[in-house]
Amino acid sequence: MTVVAYVSLSLLALAAVVGVVSIAKRSHLGDRAVAFDMLTSVVTCGLLVGAGVWQEVLNLDLAVVLGLLGFVASLTIARFVESQVEQE
Amino acid sequence: MNDIVQIIRDVVSGVLMISGSILALLASLGLFRLATTRARMHATTKPATLGVLLCGVGAALQMASTSDVTKVVVIIVLQLVTAPIGAHMLSRAVGGK
Repeated sequence: MTVVAYVSLSLLALAAVVGVVSIAKRSHLGDRAVAFDMLTSVVTCGLLVGAGVWQEVLNLDLAVVLGLLGFVASLTIARFVESQVEQE
Repeated sequence: MNDIVQIIRDVVSGVLMISGSILALLASLGLFRLATTRARMHATTKPATLGVLLCGVGAALQMASTSDVTKVVVIIVLQLVTAPIGAHMLSRAVGGK
């Protein structure tokens, strides 16, 4: 199982690096919010893999909190972008 | 007999975890490559949700107690409920870009 964890966590790390690079590359706030949303689910995947392989039960609570936090953050950014568009 | 069940469980959950991670990687490549915001949203939301689902089922197969499996189910349901709402709000916000 440790080999599975290493393979899957390195794939997820690669995904996270590509996500961070695309956050840095885009200029529009909406694009960055999309990339941030994807980054949250990549981190959730990593927490779940860690919880499964090493029996880290605390990771599950962290994943719940991260899911809620990512949802609230992307909703807030979406409302902010919408209000900016209306003002213009 | 118990060993065989354990081996089958390990193999199934390993395949699920690795395929979930491959889906997450594909989502990030789509995020990097595609041209418009809506195309990128299409590329990220679906594989990311399915990736969380597959990793969650793979992790739930390894869990020892029922309460941990319940937590994994809560995480998956949370992801399935919140991802479309967030994507809908974001796509309304970015408009036709």
